Amino acid sequence: MVRSKRLQNIFYGLFFIFFIGMIVFPFIWQFLNSFKTQADLFSIPPIIFPTKWTLQNYIDAFTRQPFLLYIKNSFVIALGSTVLSIFAGSLAAYSISRTNIKFKKTYLLLLLSITLLPPITIINPVYLIMRKLHLLNTYWGLTIVNTTIGLPMAVWFLATFFESIPNQLEESAMIDGATIFQSFYKIVLPLVAPGIFTVSILVFIAAWNQYLFALVLNPLRIRRTVTVGLTLYQTDYAIPWGTMSAASIIVTVPLLILVLILQRRIISGLMEGGVKG
Amino acid sequence: MKGDEGVSVAKSKDRMGYIFLIPSVILIIGLIFYPVFNTLYLSLFKYRIQTLALGKKFIGFANFTRLFSDETFYNSLKFTLIFTFAAVIIETILGICFALIMKKKIPGQGIIRTSILIPWAIPTIISGLMWKFMYTDQIGIINFILQKLHLIQGAIPWLLRGDMAIIATIIADVWKTTPYMSLLILSGLQTIPKHLYEAAEIDGASKWKTFIHITLPLIKPVLSVAILFRVLATFRIYDLIAVLTNGGPANSTQSLSMYTIKTYFSYGNLGYGATLAVVTFIISLVISLLFLDAIKSKIQR
Repeated sequence: MVRSKRLQNIFYGLFFIFFIGMIVFPFIWQFLNSFKTQADLFSIPPIIFPTKWTLQNYIDAFTRQPFLLYIKNSFVIALGSTVLSIFAGSLAAYSISRTNIKFKKTYLLLLLSITLLPPITIINPVYLIMRKLHLLNTYWGLTIVNTTIGLPMAVWFLATFFESIPNQLEESAMIDGATIFQSFYKIVLPLVAPGIFTVSILVFIAAWNQYLFALVLNPLRIRRTVTVGLTLYQTDYAIPWGTMSAASIIVTVPLLILVLILQRRIISGLMEGGVKG
Repeated sequence: MKGDEGVSVAKSKDRMGYIFLIPSVILIIGLIFYPVFNTLYLSLFKYRIQTLALGKKFIGFANFTRLFSDETFYNSLKFTLIFTFAAVIIETILGICFALIMKKKIPGQGIIRTSILIPWAIPTIISGLMWKFMYTDQIGIINFILQKLHLIQGAIPWLLRGDMAIIATIIADVWKTTPYMSLLILSGLQTIPKHLYEAAEIDGASKWKTFIHITLPLIKPVLSVAILFRVLATFRIYDLIAVLTNGGPANSTQSLSMYTIKTYFSYGNLGYGATLAVVTFIISLVISLLFLDAIKSKIQR
C-alpha cells in the first residue's frame, strides 16, 4: 500500500515536471532568444542561455516597423470591440434570461451560427461591405467585426449571470415606478459587474489575437494590428528571429501578466462556458 | 389593481426585451447572414478582379464542377481533414488525461492551472512563430534535444518535408489548444457527484471500469460541446499555418481556408473563391449536424 502510494507520487512528480516543461518551454525559449545576439541565435548546436545579453532586438522591433503604432491600433480595436460586445451582449442576455419574449431559441441559434461559421464563408462579402462603407483601414471596420465575433461569448456568459439575480429586486423597483431601462442599468447591471468584467477579458483577448480579419480589412500600415505586423519583419531574404522574438515577447508579456493576475476569474469563466455555455 | 399593474409591467418588459435584441440582431444580419447569402450567390458567377469592368457572368454550377478537376482543392481538403481529425483526437485524449490529473488534490495544482493559461492566451500567430524557430533543422532546439536524447540520428527537416510539416503543424496546434480543452473537460468532471465514485469503489469497480461507466457518460455533454467547437475551429485553420509553413512545402499543409483566401485575394477570383467558401461552409454545417445534442444544449434557456 505504502509502496504503491510512493510510486504514485513519483508518477505525479514526473508528470508535473513534464507537463509544466512542455507548456512553458516554448515561451521561455522565445524569451531567451529575444536577448540573444545574432551569433548566439544562429550557433550550431543551439545555446540555451545568451552568452551576451543584448537589448538590440527590442530596439530593432520598434525601429524596423512602427510597432508602437501597431500596439496602439490593436489596443484601440480590442477595447472598442470589448465595449461594444458587452453593450449589445448584455442587452441581449438580459432579454433572453429575464423576459418572456418569443423566438429565444431562434435567437440563440442565430448567435451560435456566429461561432459555428467558418470566417472564410463571410470574409469576401464583409470586405466588400467595409469597402463600400469606407471602413477599410479604419478602427471602426475591424472593431465591428470583432464585436460580432465576441457576441456569442458575451451573451452566453452574461445570460447565466443574469439568471442568478432574484426577480423580486427588479420587480419591486418597477412597481416603485422605475422603467425597465432604469431597473436594467441601476439594479441588474451593477449586480453582474463581476461577470461583465470576466467576459470583457475573454472578449478583449479574442479581439487582440484576431488575425485573419485584421489582415484582410486593415492591410495598411496606419491601422495595422500587432498580429499582422509581427509577420512582416521577415523578408524574402532573411528571417530576423531575434527581432521577431523580441516583438512577440512585447506583445505576449502584458497579456500574460493580465491573465496571471486575473487567472481565477478567467479559469472560472472558461469553465463556466464549458458546463453551461 | 395591483395585478393589472403587474401584467402591464410584464408586457412592457417583454416589449423592451425585443428592443434589447436589436443591436445584436443588426450585427448578425449585416455581418453574418447577408455575407453568407452573398457568398452563396457569388459562387454561381464568373467574377474576377482582373475583369471587374465586364461585371459578373452567371454560370450556374460550373464553379462547382470545376472542383472535381481541381487538384489543389483535393490536396487542401485532404490536409484539412487529416489535420482536423488527428489534432482533435489527440487533444481530446490528452485533454481527458490532464483533466483527470488536474482534478486530483495534489501539490502544485495551482501552478498547473496557471501554466495552462499560457498557451491559451498567446496569439496563434506568435505560437506559430515560436514553433517555426524551434523546428528549424540545423539551429532548432527540437532537433537538438531529440539528438541529445538519442531519439533521432540526423536532424529532421521538420518544415521542409511534406509529411513532417503536417506532423509539425499538428504538434503546434495540440500545444496551443490541449490546455484549454482540459480545462473544459475539468469543468465537466467537477459536476460529477462524489457519491457515485464512492459507490463504485464499494462495489469494487476497477478504475478503468469507473471511468468508462461513470465518468465518460457524465462528461459526455461537456465533451461533445468541446469537441464540436474544436473540430470546427481546427477545420478553419488559417493563422497557425500562415506563419508556420505558409501552406508549404509544395502545398502539403495548405488548408481549405488558406486556398480560399489565396483564390480571393491573391488570384482575384471572387466567383471560385466563393465556391470554395461554400464547400467549407457545407462541411462545417454537416459537422454541426452530427453534434445536434451539443447544439441543442447551447440554445436551451
